[in-house]
Amino acid sequence: MNLTLAQGIVKASALLGAGLCMGMGALGPGVGEGFVAGKACEGIARSPENASLITRTMLVGQAVSESTGIYSLVIALLLIFST
Amino acid sequence: MTKKKSPMLRIILIFFVIEIILVFLSGNFSKQLEIGFEHGKFRIRHVETEYNLQEKITEEFQIDEYYKQHGETPEIYGSEKIYNTFKNIFGVEGAVGTFQLLRMLLIVDIVLLLTALFIRKNLARRPAKSQIIFELIYTSLEEFVSETLGEDKAYYTPYIVTLFLFIWVCNMVGMIPIPGFMEPTRNLNVPLSLGFMVVVVVHFSAIKFKGAWNHLQNYINPVKNPLFLLDIVGEVSKVVSISFRLFGNILGGAIIILVVSSLVSFVVFPIGLTLFFGIFVGTIQAFVFTMLALTYISVEITE
Repeated sequence: MNLTLAQGIVKASALLGAGLCMGMGALGPGVGEGFVAGKACEGIARSPENASLITRTMLVGQAVSESTGIYSLVIALLLIFST
Repeated sequence: MTKKKSPMLRIILIFFVIEIILVFLSGNFSKQLEIGFEHGKFRIRHVETEYNLQEKITEEFQIDEYYKQHGETPEIYGSEKIYNTFKNIFGVEGAVGTFQLLRMLLIVDIVLLLTALFIRKNLARRPAKSQIIFELIYTSLEEFVSETLGEDKAYYTPYIVTLFLFIWVCNMVGMIPIPGFMEPTRNLNVPLSLGFMVVVVVHFSAIKFKGAWNHLQNYINPVKNPLFLLDIVGEVSKVVSISFRLFGNILGGAIIILVVSSLVSFVVFPIGLTLFFGIFVGTIQAFVFTMLALTYISVEITE
């Protein structure tokens, strides 16, 4: 693979951008999912008879709050593969 | 005193035995050490294999790009006849990805149809194991539907169950270790069309229950709904979010499995990764997709 200088700079900055995108995009979902799981633990401790309902709602909520991380993953993949 | 073996220990033992067998069968080991005769002498040789991760990822995830670089042959399609037929229909270069996607979708459909026929044929008053499993899936999803939409709208259950089973089988079928097998949900076209159909069903049921004019006023009348522009954007973002979530999770899991198993390819065969990203994430994402579809429907049709 022989690249000119300009192509090399574009490729390098795309890879750097992909790394930054994934790292920063993972911050929000990490905090959010941890918060949801903690609240679910509190809820189960308060009313253990609702544990299955709480777990179900927690999983759906986590998957929804994960979506920003998934968007950053998709953008990182675009940056890596399409440049 | 004889102590009973704990089941956990037994599971770990079985896991290791399977792992060792798979390492020897997986081809990496036998490829590295070539046993044979050379100049009349028996010898064991170490074979250098060139292994390019970037190329492997391209082959696995951008198959059209890969065959554009390497040139495609009829062998990828199975036979000359299929190749010619496919070329006649689509008529474009680099349609291997489409062909693989269609083949995998066909396999998923056949699996679903055969299972349905098998279960139907063996229906009994005293249910067998398979019947119990499918009745469990159906009744639990029916419970969700009637909890969210109300008892009188439980006829949405077949749609929801079909969505769940289809996405679940799609996510599971990629774990079969045959070359060319992949999850159909890894291609963006499948989740995008499923998400688009969810929004179509949502609007159809809204028109059915509220009336077309009442429903349309949410999107054109600034008096009744001051944020109508945001709602129009929200409809597009519904499709994007519901489909990109499924796509990104499955694709990310597949890439992580590929990268990690190529990093450790001569030591272990990562079953645990496949268990997590294949079974756990696949099931959760199928469930989340159906639950979100149900939630979108319930927002529109319940008061």
